[in-house]
Amino acid sequence: MTAAEASDPGPQHSLRAALRVQLRVIGALTLRELGTRFGRDNLGYLWLFLEPAMLGGAIGLLHKLTGHAMPGGLDPGTFFVIGYVPFYLLRSVVNRAPSVISANQSLLYHRHVTLLDIVIARNLLEGGAAFGAMLGFLLFFGLVAGEWPHEPAKIVLGLAFMLLLAHGLGMLVAVGSVYTDLFDRVTHLLTYLSMPLTGAFYMVFWLPTELQRMALWIPTVHCFELVRDGQFGARVPTHYDIGYALSWIAALNLLGMAGLRRARRHLVV
Amino acid sequence: MIRLHDLHKSYKTHFGERVVLRGINCTFHRGEKVGILGRNGAGKTTLLRLIAGVEYPTSGRVERRMTVSWPLGFAGAMHYSITGADNARFIARIYGKPIAETVEQVESFAELGEYYRMPVRTYSSGMIMRLGFALSLAIEFDCYLVDEAIAVGDARFGERARQALADRRENGTLLLVSHVPGLVRKFCTSAAVLRDGRLIRYDKVDEAIAAYEAG
Repeated sequence: MTAAEASDPGPQHSLRAALRVQLRVIGALTLRELGTRFGRDNLGYLWLFLEPAMLGGAIGLLHKLTGHAMPGGLDPGTFFVIGYVPFYLLRSVVNRAPSVISANQSLLYHRHVTLLDIVIARNLLEGGAAFGAMLGFLLFFGLVAGEWPHEPAKIVLGLAFMLLLAHGLGMLVAVGSVYTDLFDRVTHLLTYLSMPLTGAFYMVFWLPTELQRMALWIPTVHCFELVRDGQFGARVPTHYDIGYALSWIAALNLLGMAGLRRARRHLVV
Repeated sequence: MIRLHDLHKSYKTHFGERVVLRGINCTFHRGEKVGILGRNGAGKTTLLRLIAGVEYPTSGRVERRMTVSWPLGFAGAMHYSITGADNARFIARIYGKPIAETVEQVESFAELGEYYRMPVRTYSSGMIMRLGFALSLAIEFDCYLVDEAIAVGDARFGERARQALADRRENGTLLLVSHVPGLVRKFCTSAAVLRDGRLIRYDKVDEAIAAYEAG
């Protein structure tokens, strides 16, 4: 396949060829986003991980120093850090969503760059940042405090679910921003106000039964509990339903992708 | 071949719906060099953007059976915050071209000197145009969509751009939009007139120019 053919995937092209073009485009976009966001100055790409790590570290340290006891005898530093990192991921994906299209419009001059490619490239980076920061913290807790994760796979899964949820929600916010400026104005406010509800800083078993049931309606709660199960294991009871989280992910992502397709037709570049 | 099926385009504005294109049907064959003449505001640029796939028609369809460039003559396809060379790298990656070769090719055609390694936002408008054109040449599209801006740029580069397009004469296709009949005469072998949201094609450039000037 020549480049000229690849640049115009017509109906005669197989799904595989189209997928290859998409992967190539997403790869190029990710590299470019890295370059424009972090440049080649001082620490460069390291900032990708350092930004969430510094914020998470500060939150963890504050709670560690204030030294209040946690239910189940958990270390407050660990608890707040592993809650903060997935929350940081959610917030940065959703907060950037209103500008993701307008900031990258010029890419649409290249016909086979889709809105989905642009959003995926950006969120892959956010995901990479969160995973990198989380890995750093877990190694730190393990090496310094001897507190290794109980089941690392569950932490990975919880963080991956959070990324997919945020990605789906972010796509919907991005679609909305094509039609109205409203999203640009209120998204930061809403992510800020939603912080206590997301489940980043409380556990379901702390709540009275009635509230537990309500908390479990919130999809992000399941992600945080999954991460905690991975870190603490049976030391504390955790509540989550993988099927429920996956249903939210599927619904938000399908709606988001359909919305992006529709928005592309109305977009004035 | 590029075929336009009943293209309509309107934009929502504060003053209601503004209709730009009202049903365009046209076929451009491989190897044709077509000039599209239209007054300011006739919708030339809009038409070019729909053909390029930068924007979508309100109704109707663009059928592309060859590779089509982005509309040249706008800065749109480039990134201002990164260097010309980084733009070349990026575009090589998206279109699956060899990276080092593309960077070199663009450098020699665009003639930007040391500016090639500086952010595009420091460029003059002429330099941006040269970079954009050099980038599109490096990708080797079947059909080039050119806004008049590029043709009126500086004379020396205009001549080289023309030469580069002429080198692909056998199967290279060109759609040039302009409000200047002279440009169309210089670059094109047939022409069309865009007026009141409709496009009328003429076999001979002179016929088109006569119709354009009469309107």
